[in-house]
Amino acid sequence: MRKPLAVLAAAALLLSACSDNGSSGTPGSTDGTGGNLTIVRAGDSVSMDNTMVFSNASIWVFQQMYESLYEVTPDGKGVQPLLAESSSVSKDKLTWTFKLKQGVTFSNGQPMTSADVKFSLDAARSVKGGWEFLDVAIKTVTAPDPATVVIKTKYPWAPLLADLANFSNAVLPKDYAGKSKEAFYKAPVATGPFVWDHWTKGSEIQLKKNPTYWDAGKPALDSVTWKVVPDDNARNVQIQGGQAQVNENPPFSSVEQLKGQPGVGVTLFPSTKTDYILMNQNEKPYDDVHVRRAISYAIDREAMVKTLLFGNGTPANSFLMPNVPFYDPATPGLSYDMAKAKEELAKSSVPGGFETTFLASSGDTTDAAIAQILQSSLKELGITVKIQNVDPSAAHDLQSEQKYQISHSYWTMDIADPDELVTFAVDPTAGSKSFYTSYKNDKVIADTKKAEQTFDDAGRQQLYSAIQKQAADDAFLGFLYYSPFSYSYSTKVQGFQVYPTGNYHLEDVKLGS
Amino acid sequence: MRHLIYVARRLVALVPVLLGITVIVFFMIHLVPGDPARTLLGVRATDESVAALHVAFGLDQPVWRQYLDFLVRLLHGSLGRSFFYDANVTELVAGRLPATLWLLVAATVLSLAISVPLAVLAATRRGSAVDQAIRALPLIGLGMPAFWVGIMLVLLFGLKVRAFPVAGFGTTPVQHLSSIVLPGLTVALALTPILIRSLRTSMIAVLDSDYVVTARAKGLSHRRVITGHTLRNAAVSSITVLGVNIAYLVGSTLVVERVFALPGMGTLMLESIFNRDFPVVQGVTLVFAIMVVVINLLTDIAHGLLDPRVELA
Repeated sequence: MRKPLAVLAAAALLLSACSDNGSSGTPGSTDGTGGNLTIVRAGDSVSMDNTMVFSNASIWVFQQMYESLYEVTPDGKGVQPLLAESSSVSKDKLTWTFKLKQGVTFSNGQPMTSADVKFSLDAARSVKGGWEFLDVAIKTVTAPDPATVVIKTKYPWAPLLADLANFSNAVLPKDYAGKSKEAFYKAPVATGPFVWDHWTKGSEIQLKKNPTYWDAGKPALDSVTWKVVPDDNARNVQIQGGQAQVNENPPFSSVEQLKGQPGVGVTLFPSTKTDYILMNQNEKPYDDVHVRRAISYAIDREAMVKTLLFGNGTPANSFLMPNVPFYDPATPGLSYDMAKAKEELAKSSVPGGFETTFLASSGDTTDAAIAQILQSSLKELGITVKIQNVDPSAAHDLQSEQKYQISHSYWTMDIADPDELVTFAVDPTAGSKSFYTSYKNDKVIADTKKAEQTFDDAGRQQLYSAIQKQAADDAFLGFLYYSPFSYSYSTKVQGFQVYPTGNYHLEDVKLGS
Repeated sequence: MRHLIYVARRLVALVPVLLGITVIVFFMIHLVPGDPARTLLGVRATDESVAALHVAFGLDQPVWRQYLDFLVRLLHGSLGRSFFYDANVTELVAGRLPATLWLLVAATVLSLAISVPLAVLAATRRGSAVDQAIRALPLIGLGMPAFWVGIMLVLLFGLKVRAFPVAGFGTTPVQHLSSIVLPGLTVALALTPILIRSLRTSMIAVLDSDYVVTARAKGLSHRRVITGHTLRNAAVSSITVLGVNIAYLVGSTLVVERVFALPGMGTLMLESIFNRDFPVVQGVTLVFAIMVVVINLLTDIAHGLLDPRVELA
């Protein structure tokens, strides 16, 4: 019976000899140009329609193809011209004139003109249920000559450049280059450093180098492949095994272990991500500010940073994040203080405590940990927290329908201006019912509207500081912590940087041998 | 001819089974809370856009109507369109089927390659230290969960020895073959304990039978007695054990596909359940059901070929 085993062993040897160890990231040449970069991620993209899609897994891919008039600066706090050369605004702040960069062509060879910009902006602001809310201030877009675009706004609108820098306002060829909208987004054409190659739904997306990219010499890579690998451990192992070069968001629990691996780098990029506790003011007793304050004081943020982020974060003091313009570090956010929590509860309508239900997404370790930490802290106040675990998709529905009492959520910025977040968070008419809490403070809403129309930075800072202070005082959310974006990568990867808004620019990335 | 009629009859009998499965799956997935339109549109979706998507997906219709539409499409050979990927379900499933089939074939081949020699060794040296050791294997094997075994194999053969890819499926048949060894082995290691046990027991029974004694008395070599007389007869019951377990594994390849990042049906199923992508869940379940029935059919046929006493009727 020795023979079959010998045959088996021989077959295994032969197979492993045939195997190239699955290295799908073909190395670049010695000068760092060429090669394929493989990025592994937990979930697949949804669609390439930049005007409608909210999923990061889609945005981070199409941002390598689409470009806007402006782009976010690497520190996430400002914008700089991209497809625009310059801009000027009229005295009454209602008319903006943009000069376009010359010599830019789409990847199909067609030159980019103001007609394309007008078409793209008009398309972006006419959709329903997408990103059109960013463009509500725009009244008209005109193209007086091929190199000039004029935007008139309904009222003075300070965040305009930041809004235009968003991917939803990217410049696409007029009339979708003669295709239907649906057909266009299946194989999009734009001005960016990478062009469409293929998408095997649920498995991988590949983009290849745009050989006629206007920024000569870029990109260095021949192609980029995003592969769906749902398992955290499998993604880590693929970086170690050389099958992939970048791992999108490895869990914080694995960061220390990954740092010790030869050939693997880990970076925690400063982000605009913040987590918070939602308290639904439609449900009693959360309409009582003392109850919300008591809970906010009772949140042990340090414990959460330690348990959930393994120390890789900081407790939050505001609903704005440190990497967002006009964040105020002096905002007196409520920090962990059990004595004050008890004081606040004593002043409330339920001084003896009450029973409440925390809505959590099943299988979500962050939700589970937050719920448990909160449960044990609130017990001291006499508040009994029951944890209701439902499927993530159902939890999402229950939050948006405001059929919950207390729950957890988070936010990441898309643009380099606080307006998007502040409007969603504090204005119940803005679409998300103040983050599904029904929080309404007329002074805060008025300040938000004023800040949108204020052009000088000092004036805006004053308004946003006041908003942050009042929001913290009203404890409409329990601010939890600020966490970075974790990425692990092969040390062969050079020039990979994630901006605080979460996007990255692969035209600057090189792959060493 | 008799076999062909048998196969045809079994395939016809499959229709009501599949119909039953579609009914159960369809209504069960609709019972689970969660809205595909909201999942797709994200946190900032307005009620109008959610409603518009419901109409586009046909989710505004009553459930029985949606089921009828599904059946009508099925009769036209279509599994519908995925909500999440906006792609044909048939194409999505066809793209994921190869990895799962490779995995099942590799698992079957490897589990036979491991368990047959070990079972024969144990049965022919009954009571020896070798037999004791082989009999202890099932206990250890059954105690190790597949995901753990998978990770250990990756660490050993993928990262340390670097003999096989750590994950993925590759693009060429050669890459498929080298990619499937570790996942196949992971499944095989879960199957072998049961197979070794069953084959060893039946081998022992056959080795004691009169015709084996006669064969030995005729002066046949040990090898001929084992391969020609004992193994063939002992295999009959083990084939059934193997068939049943592989059919069971069809639904549980998920864990192994996840650990090895294989783009298979199990992962597609899980993603689609999370996304509430009803048409894909339906499609994948149907294909899984067909696979289970086909494996059972193949087991029966193999049974019939090995044992002429078995009537395929």
